[in-house]
Amino acid sequence: MFFHIVLERNMQLHPRHFGRNLREHIISKLMKDVEGTCSGRHGFVVAITSVENIGKGLIRDGTGFVTFPVKYQCVVFRPFKGEILEAVVSMVNKMGFFAEAGPVQIFVSNHLIPDDMEFQSGDMPNYTTSDGSVKIQKDSEVRLKIIGTRVDATEIDKNISQSRPKWDPAGSHPSRFFCIGTIKDDFLGVINDPTTI
Amino acid sequence: MSLATDSPVNSSSSDDLAAFLDAELDSNSLGSSPEKEAEDKDEDEESIDEEAENEEARDDKDLERIKRRKTQIVETIQERPGPTLLGNLEEKTDMLYCAEVSLEMDNCPHPGSLGGMCYRCGKRLEEESGVTFSYICKGLRLGNDEIDRLRNTDMKHLLRHRKLYLILDLDHTLLNSTLLLHLTPEEDYLKSQADSLQDVSKGSLFMLAFMNMMTKLRPFVHTFLKEASEMFEMYIYTMGDRPYALEMAKLLDPSREYFNARVISRDDGTQRHQKGLDVVLGQESAVLILDDTENAWTKHRDNLILMERYHFFASSCRQFGYHCQSLSQLRSDESELEGALASVLKVLKRIHNIFFDELANDLAGRDVRQVLKMVRGEVLKGCKLVFSHVFPTKFPADTHYLWKMAEQLGATCSIELDPSVTHVVSTDARTEKSRWAAKEAKFLVDPRWIETANFLWQRQPEENFPVQQTKPEENFHAKQMKDQ
Ligand SMILES: [Mg+2]
Ligand SMILES: [Zn+2]
Repeated sequence: MFFHIVLERNMQLHPRHFGRNLREHIISKLMKDVEGTCSGRHGFVVAITSVENIGKGLIRDGTGFVTFPVKYQCVVFRPFKGEILEAVVSMVNKMGFFAEAGPVQIFVSNHLIPDDMEFQSGDMPNYTTSDGSVKIQKDSEVRLKIIGTRVDATEIDKNISQSRPKWDPAGSHPSRFFCIGTIKDDFLGVINDPTTI
Repeated sequence: MSLATDSPVNSSSSDDLAAFLDAELDSNSLGSSPEKEAEDKDEDEESIDEEAENEEARDDKDLERIKRRKTQIVETIQERPGPTLLGNLEEKTDMLYCAEVSLEMDNCPHPGSLGGMCYRCGKRLEEESGVTFSYICKGLRLGNDEIDRLRNTDMKHLLRHRKLYLILDLDHTLLNSTLLLHLTPEEDYLKSQADSLQDVSKGSLFMLAFMNMMTKLRPFVHTFLKEASEMFEMYIYTMGDRPYALEMAKLLDPSREYFNARVISRDDGTQRHQKGLDVVLGQESAVLILDDTENAWTKHRDNLILMERYHFFASSCRQFGYHCQSLSQLRSDESELEGALASVLKVLKRIHNIFFDELANDLAGRDVRQVLKMVRGEVLKGCKLVFSHVFPTKFPADTHYLWKMAEQLGATCSIELDPSVTHVVSTDARTEKSRWAAKEAKFLVDPRWIETANFLWQRQPEENFPVQQTKPEENFHAKQMKDQ
């Protein structure tokens, strides 16, 4: 789920940036530092939408660096238990399947796939109904419900490119959130089948 | 102020997104399909508008109440006058309800977990239980009942597709690797002969500079894997570490059609220096193992097809105490069509055929270990062997590995000479029994005749294993060199 919230952060700036473009420097550094990071408290920062206020700088003794308290608005994303998400299947195996929705990786075990769907191995492993009408395989889009979440926060102080995802069981894409999901309920399941496009 | 337009450093995609969000926020729209927006897709506009209208029609108080509830749940969100929520509010109330319900679902037996959460009920599990199956996915743990359940369903599925399980060792079975550091000067030529890592599907000699290694695939391995994959669900199981196992899997199976995630390394085992079928999700009665190291499989000898070691590099020969020239030093290789993998493929085909087509009993009651035993017992059927100068003095003959091996291959072993004896196995042509064989026109063979039959699953021409006056240490590559 997405939220629009206000956060605060102390930005440390090198003295070489003190000049006409100080504000721009602070803002661009803020975006670089914050967007794409994830904290367990707030979730995944999708984008900064505006800067509300940049407070008075505090000069650090010795280094000349200045710390500015910055108040900004941003859009964050966090998955919740019970939330319905649409996700793209990234890997299928006999244990179930993995799907991705933005920064979230979801595992749906075969316990939570409808009983009439059976695993088929092969070079394109999939779960298929006995009549073959519904098939879940890599790249299928599914609507699922989250029943368990786990958030691995990357420290918000790290740069996006440096923050390495800690949790990636399917070994496919870096994900900031890992969830357990189900498609064993009304209105859940495949919403489009890649083979029929 | 809007950052999207002012900000000097900004990626174009986040530009678009920020602008979009700005617009969205200004127009106070509430309904949306969040993850779609994040990806900057503009579909479903219609339904969003519709939902937004619905929301506006809603009682303001009600809205405020739901918002507050939501805010408490996400305790982290800073309180400020009416934080703007994106997302369908109606869904959110449902969501809260669902969350409560699933929390109450606590008679779940927690069959297995991923990332510390039960994958059936989603609950965080306090203590770690069950066996780790990290090779399937990182952080996967399964309880014993669940393992049994998976084995049963998997087995049914496999048998329906006329397949069994095949566990393959890497080193000395499918390939031979060496550290670049251990290459001898005579092997230096290999560096210029290494195949491209761009398309590994045709190559057999690879330089893996980033691992300081060179790897030679065993002749026939590509054909072997292709044909075996039609009869078996295959696993790699190596005593090497995980990064090595995955690199080798890439060389053997670049398009991931044979092994997929079924690559087990020593990091995945449950016991040190032992390989076990406990981490394989297959019934033991349907598993065959190819490995050159018998001792790794103490609990599963009946499933094991022992492989003759493939030593290509000099370092590999040295490591096993052979003081001879390696295949690489001789600029030679094992035979493609009569080598170990070609021979064993024939055996696998035969076992597969017997298992599915020749046995009379119910499919679920069949045991591939029995079939293996039977096929092995046909190799030296009808041979009666007497040993001479093979066992140390006073060694109880029937406990010697060669005696046992010959019996497993279907031969009868004896300590007495009599007319029914067909072979004298000896290391010295001058012994009494050896001379008796010559006089009575019985076969006189070197012990390697048994071992080779054991590796190749075929009775070998006796004339290729003459008994010499002194122990023939230099015979090591005789068979391998034959076809060069
Ligand atoms: Mg080995
Ligand atoms: Zn559970």
